[in-house]
Amino acid sequence: MLQAGERAPDFLLRAIDGTEHQLANEPTLLVFFETDCPTCLLTLPYLNKLAARLPEAAISGISQDDEAATKALAEQLQIRFPVLLDRDWKVSEQYAPVAVPTLFLLDGQGQIVHTQIAFDKAELNAMTAALCAMMGQEVFVLAEPFDGNPATKPGCTSRHLEPRTEGEMAAALNPYAQRGARASHLELSEDVDAEEYCLRFDPLPVLPPTLARVERMLNASTLAPDEVIALVPPNYGQATVEKIAANAVMAGCAPELMRVLIPLIRAVCDERYNIHGVQATTHFAAPLVIVNGPIRHELGFVSGSNVFSNVARANSTLGRALQLILTNIGGARPGEIDMSTLGNAGKFAQVIAENEEENPWEPLHVEHGFAREQSTLTLFAAEPPRGVSEHNARHGRTILKAISRALATIWTYRICLMFEAFVILCPEHVKTLQRDGFTKQSARDFLFENTGIPLHHYSDGDGEGVQYQHLFEQVTIDGESCYRKFARPEQIHIVVAGGTAGKFSAVLGSWATGPRGSQVVTYPIE
Amino acid sequence: MPTILINPLNESQREPRKAATKLSTLQGKTIGLLDISKPGGNYFLDHVERLLKAQYGVANVIRAMKPTFTKPAPAAVIEQLVNARCDAVIEALAD
Repeated sequence: MLQAGERAPDFLLRAIDGTEHQLANEPTLLVFFETDCPTCLLTLPYLNKLAARLPEAAISGISQDDEAATKALAEQLQIRFPVLLDRDWKVSEQYAPVAVPTLFLLDGQGQIVHTQIAFDKAELNAMTAALCAMMGQEVFVLAEPFDGNPATKPGCTSRHLEPRTEGEMAAALNPYAQRGARASHLELSEDVDAEEYCLRFDPLPVLPPTLARVERMLNASTLAPDEVIALVPPNYGQATVEKIAANAVMAGCAPELMRVLIPLIRAVCDERYNIHGVQATTHFAAPLVIVNGPIRHELGFVSGSNVFSNVARANSTLGRALQLILTNIGGARPGEIDMSTLGNAGKFAQVIAENEEENPWEPLHVEHGFAREQSTLTLFAAEPPRGVSEHNARHGRTILKAISRALATIWTYRICLMFEAFVILCPEHVKTLQRDGFTKQSARDFLFENTGIPLHHYSDGDGEGVQYQHLFEQVTIDGESCYRKFARPEQIHIVVAGGTAGKFSAVLGSWATGPRGSQVVTYPIE
Repeated sequence: MPTILINPLNESQREPRKAATKLSTLQGKTIGLLDISKPGGNYFLDHVERLLKAQYGVANVIRAMKPTFTKPAPAAVIEQLVNARCDAVIEALAD
């Protein structure tokens, strides 16, 4: 971007009234703007006011949008200074504003004396004072401090920096984001097999992240390649958009999947989820990703039969990309920093979608406060799934009893209160539950009330859970004295997934939960 | 033509750290014991504290505790051990 002290390049631009304009030999204020930028809409009325107070001042608006949109805006805001069209961004490229609105104040000799990015009342007043001084006019306050508008407001990316065609990537798209270093290039000589070489990034074969493939992935995102999305624990490596894209290529993701991968990386590095602990524990825990909303159909996530299997490119490659990012950027490679005792097959990839079409109740994301039409992803630090087979039960409560028996053994059979679980209900089971009048809440309450550990188990001898016995709540379940397994019904999460044939549900226990462990997080996908 | 790949690995530079100098004796020293707050950590560290004092002549034992074993020690816990001018700190796992 051109700075104060530099010479302003001349131009010849057509205004919306058809007249042609170039730089005049007098103090001039140029403002680059877009018609759909809220900060531009906030700024332009102040410049209108400036034009009214200083009718002799040469103020020019330079629109980066087409004539129709620009004319509509000029009419709406009653813009009283000339509005020029820079639709091919030739002038924008010369002045190179990183964001809009950007103001350039030029003296009578065509030298830039002041620049201002986005909306800032103090800057606007300083620029007004400078313009007044150059014109020999009395200084006045253009932007009052308490006029109802904020003191500052960030702008939007300048149009000329947005991605246009494939292979032509903007250098900087969000001027306010944290920037990281660009990835280095690995140059392989002709005798090196790229696929073999890439086995150092993962024990399974990956698609080599060539320049062209990574660029295609980057073009699918509106973010700058060097924008830091998160620092990935436990090594706190910088997950820039470019590094994420390189790993997404290796996982075989379709470029559209960047839409999900970016919020997924933000979510997995959310302090509440505590991926640091999830990656460093010797426990089984592996991230379980649950996708909800219209994105399931838009990008081909499978929610039906084989939902936990290698059933669809979207499910498998998203899960694999997440794992590659956690190891290659975060550093928790199994066998190195990740010293899990037995590990988890979910560390290959573990992404399921909720079968909302077979769910008679509200889906997970709606329960978490999102609109049904909002796509989301939810993360849970999960033990491997254990199956609950129940083909002969005639009633919903019998199915729930079977599930409660599996819930009773999560983590280990004598520990209570401290763990959570996801119950994955298959369509056939949920159908029976609904027929018998269960709502999602009443099914959850039933599981909470009926999941307990018989007291006689505590005479098996010392063991995990026995030391906390004094904290547990004693209840009677089916005439038997038990400790309640869960502290609250909300520790039991319910999702519907799987194929419409077969009466197999599943239960997944948690790792350490709450603020001292890992908390379930749900992020919107835009 | 050579193939060019985008490096998918973390390239953030980290400052190399030198390991602390090993103590030649524990006699008269101040030793910090950091409990990572796993179950049973207090039993283990109580025993270590007794051994350090009775058998090795350790002058002071400073006990600190992480709020949770699942996350790195917060700055306040590390500061507590630094401010106590420990000659060495032993971090205790348990279970």
